[in-house]
This record gives sequence, C-alpha cells and structure tokens, in this order.
Amino acid sequence: MTRTASAREHDATLALCADGVGLWTPWVAAGQVVAPGQAIGELEVLGVSERVIAGGTRAGRVVAIAGARHHRLPVDFGAALVTLDLALGVAIDAAGPDATAAATGGGLRFVAPSSGRFYGRPGPGKPAFVTVGEVIAVGHTVCLLEVMKTFHRVTYGGAGLPERAKVTAIAIADDADVNPGDVILHLEAVP
Amino acid sequence: MSPPLFHRILIANRGEVAVRIARACDALGITPVFAVSEADRDAPYTRDREVVVLGPARAAQSYLDVRRVVQAAVQARCSALHPGWGFLSENPLLATLCAQHGVTFIGPPPHAMALMGGKSPAKRAMRDAGLAVIPGSDGPLASAAAARACADAVGYPVLLKAESGGGGRGMRIARAPGEVEAAFTDAQGEARGAFGDERVFLERLIEGGRHVEIQVFADRYGAAIHVGERDCTVQRNHQKLIEESPSPVLPDDVRARTLATAVAATKAIGYVGAGTIEMLLESGLEGRPVLRFMEMNTRLQVEHSVSEQRSGLDLVILQIKTAAGHPLPLTQADVPLDGHVIECRINAEDPDAGFRPAPGRITDWRLPDLQGGAIRVDTHVAPGYVVPPHYDSLLCKVIAKGADRAEAIARMLQALGELTCVGVPTTVSAHQRILASAAFREHRYDTRTIPGLS
Repeated sequence: MTRTASAREHDATLALCADGVGLWTPWVAAGQVVAPGQAIGELEVLGVSERVIAGGTRAGRVVAIAGARHHRLPVDFGAALVTLDLALGVAIDAAGPDATAAATGGGLRFVAPSSGRFYGRPGPGKPAFVTVGEVIAVGHTVCLLEVMKTFHRVTYGGAGLPERAKVTAIAIADDADVNPGDVILHLEAVP
Repeated sequence: MSPPLFHRILIANRGEVAVRIARACDALGITPVFAVSEADRDAPYTRDREVVVLGPARAAQSYLDVRRVVQAAVQARCSALHPGWGFLSENPLLATLCAQHGVTFIGPPPHAMALMGGKSPAKRAMRDAGLAVIPGSDGPLASAAAARACADAVGYPVLLKAESGGGGRGMRIARAPGEVEAAFTDAQGEARGAFGDERVFLERLIEGGRHVEIQVFADRYGAAIHVGERDCTVQRNHQKLIEESPSPVLPDDVRARTLATAVAATKAIGYVGAGTIEMLLESGLEGRPVLRFMEMNTRLQVEHSVSEQRSGLDLVILQIKTAAGHPLPLTQADVPLDGHVIECRINAEDPDAGFRPAPGRITDWRLPDLQGGAIRVDTHVAPGYVVPPHYDSLLCKVIAKGADRAEAIARMLQALGELTCVGVPTTVSAHQRILASAAFREHRYDTRTIPGLS
C-alpha cells in the first residue's frame, strides 16, 4: 500500500504533507529533485510501514526534511514531511482544474445558503434532484445539506435569480463539503 | 497499595466531553493529550494543551478512524485512551486495537461491549439477570411468517427493529396482522442498506411511556454500585433535552427493586466501568407501572453530570482509576443520593425554526452565576469559538440542584436567564418554556410530547 502526501503550495515552495498520523522516516536527501508520484519516505501506522509518494502536480528540489536526523519521527496529519523549492525544480504540465469553472462563467449562479455536506440525490441509487439541461423553477429541490448530523432541503430561488432557469452545470460533487456562498448550480435564464 | 495511575491519557473525542475528561486528568495530575481533527485544532479548549491532529474535519477520517486514533495514542506516548461518548466510544474494535498496542482502553472490556452492542443478546442477558424486558421475539426472525406468528402472540401494535440498528432507522410499526409482512420486509430492506445486516426482531410497541435510565459502575474485581436513576423523558426526535434525578413519577418500591436488579445484572455480565441501563417506564394503565430494559450504553453519557451532582462522585475520575486497576473505593451504602438535580442541554439550534442547527462564531459568551455551587455548567465554549458544522450542536450543559424539584426548577430558570450567548441561536428559550409549563410541573408528558412545546 502507498499513501500520497498532499501538496500545499506557498510562494515558491511546496510542502508535501502527511495524510495521517504515524511515524515518519524520510527516503530523500536535501538537494534531490522530487517529482509527483515519486516515493519520498515511509509512514509507520500501528507497526505497518507504508510508502509515501509525492502528490500535487509540480516537481522541485528538496530544501527541508522533517526528521532528517532521527528516523520514525511522530507526525500529525497535515505536517510538512518534505519541502520543495519550486524555483529550482521543473514545472510539470498541469491540467487546469479551473477549466470547467471558466467554461460556465458569466451566467447565473445558485449558491449554498449555509455550510454542510452536499447530497445531490435523496438516497443512494435514487435519481438526482437536478440534472444538467433541466429547467427548474422557484421551490424546486436542489440538494440536501447535512449540517450537524441533520438534513436540510435546499430549494431554488433567491435574490437576483429568475422564476425559472436552465441548469448548465452542477458545481459540487456528491458528498463534498460546502461553505456558505459556494456555487452549487450554474444556470442560464430561459426566455 | 493501589496500582499507579497513568501519566498521559489520549482524549479521543472533542468538545464538551474532551474538556470534561481533561478536567479529571488535571485533578489526578495526568497529562491529557487531545486528539483533534483539523476543524478543532485551533478551538479555544485546546489552547496550551498537547494536541495530535488526526485528520481532516470529516469525522470518518479523524474521530471515527480507529487506526489513526490508536496510532495517535501510541506516538503521543499515552498509556491510556478515553473515548468519551459518541464517535468510537462503543466500538469493540477500538478497545481490541488498544489492547494490541499496549494502550489501556478506559471503558468496559470488549466482550461486554460486544454483548450489549447486539440488541437480542443484550436483551437475553438482561432478562436472564432479572430485569423486565419488552415482550417480543426471542432474537432475530427467520421470515415474515414467523414475524406474523410472533406479533399475534405478543399483541398489536408491534415494532420491527433492526438487530444492528440505531438512530431510529430500520424500524417499522405494524398495528394490525395485515401490516406485519410489509413492515417486516421494509425494516429488513432499510436495515440491509443502512447497517449491512438485514436481521430484524420484533417487540410489542409501547407508545408513550417515560425514559428512565440507571447509572451503574463496576470495578474489575466484581464490585458494582448504582448511582441512582435519571429521567430523560423530555426528548425531541430521540434527542434528550432535559434529564433529571430522581424520576418524579417512579414509585419508591419500583425504584428500589429495579436499582438492585440493575446492579446484579451489571455484575452478571462481567461489566467494568461506567455504564447506563436504559429502560422504558410503561405507564400504569393496567395497574403498577413497570420498568422494561431497552438497551445498555457501555460508556460515559452526556447526562452523567446529573448523577454526579446528586452523589458527589466524580465518575470520570472513577473511570480512570478503575481502568488503572483500582478497586471501587466505596460501597452502595456510601453513595449518598440527595436533593433533586435537573440538567438542560443547550444546543446551537434555533427553536423558532424547527430546531435548525446553527453553526457559526460565538462573539459573546457569559456563564450564569453558580448560586453558591447549586449550578454547574459543563462547556467547551469560550468567546470567539466557532461552532463547526461537522459535529453535534451541544454548546453546554447547565445542571441545577435543589432540595426538591421546585427549587431545582427555580434555580435552573434563574441560571438560564443569565446565560449569555451572542452569535448563534440557542435552545435556551425552549428550555425556559418547558420548565415554566404546567405540563412539566405536573408530569403530564411522555417521550412523544414535549411539555410546554407540543
């Protein structure tokens, strides 16, 4: 089994961070170039060691290593394991995650009224509340939001939105966490 | 000589109970280590405390991940782990994994947890120990026809319940013979989907009734005590709002007999630590009211503070000492149960909007006057605290003690009037309406109706 260290970019550096708690032993040395997918060390959890590979989309040169001097360093979730200097590395072609957002830009947006976990259908295997291309009217159920273990029905409508609109994109994946104001639906007015 | 206590304890929980456990650790000179999710790492209650970040906000990858929790205990050099309530507190796998990795689980042994975790085995064990149970099938039902035969025998209406159920799911009511087959099939289907276990059993449906539970405590050497009962009848959607002790409607002879039987049952199943035997008080339509066993919670409960205020015991300190191998330091005769205690759970919910949960930032927070010790407030909240949307909505518990019920109510109302919370709505106003209602004062309510609100 392998684990992937999540990449957190800050200015010209990129921190590869632990995806859980465990005892960390690095395999890389300062100055080495690390690319996404490459093994950077191992994390021991309850006596089992698992390989940790670099996540993200960019390569860089190692400038700092957690626990470089002592093996099996206890680390928390989110701790920076290896820090890369991006200026010294090689940029890897990154597929822009913003592509979908840009394509639907400029239209109407329906946003989340509160934070919570997003459910686009009433239950597993049930049809979705909203589908792309569908024309919805005020009062139409858009999703369920799970807030503090209780479910709340979110209905279409609100200031600046027309009585009826056509759904051009659903911006949130099932089971994802949303914050107030996060775009749930991209819409266009219907004549 | 008593065995030495632990030096460091991992608190595998959050919020109010985490603070409660830390208080007991502080009193015993033990260093508590808070296992937290990313959402709680900067919460005021973890300030100046040792912390291990388990994972992201989502509980499945933090507070509910058994491996992360045990690894956190190991690498934080904790020799014991307190699971609190909710989350993994009744998970036998956590207790087992702790044992494998040399961490003492502060709770009952895995076999007692597993026994009480299965609905039918728990019921059978408690019936054998002498507690009254709700009439029904002897274990899971093999078929709809078996369900029908059993329902005819116990009498309608009946409730079909998932063997591995919880939270009100996998339950169906049948009020007449013609409804049993559909109820059986539906309960089975829901149970399969929700719990991965389609086994269903049947009980006579007791409508209304009052929720009365017994706090028990046992050590490793066969000694056990009770710390009185708690009446938790004031509920909304199976969530307790108010708990009190003693129960204002329980006849003295029924109380004495049931408390003694509960202690015997605790010993009979080899229980260790704090536990709660939840019972249903069937109203005395056909004569004497009777307490029937519902389930046993193998952990500390939110409302343990009610029993603490009546007895003067510190149940969390007792839990820790028991886990370290200390014998119970007292016998039943040494457990005083005096006065009347009421607890209100204050949640971040809007009672005027259907009790909608309301996460957000608390800008001002002031506790009521403690009235010379008659009021206790348990909380993790401080000004500036952000109530995260990921977990339950408990803000604090206010516990009031009086010489009798009327005095406890009066003190509680004064305290609730003084509690200040700005930034999120709270359930304080609902509690004030309940406590002031004639229905509450005259005991005219059951688990289906909220006095003063329904």
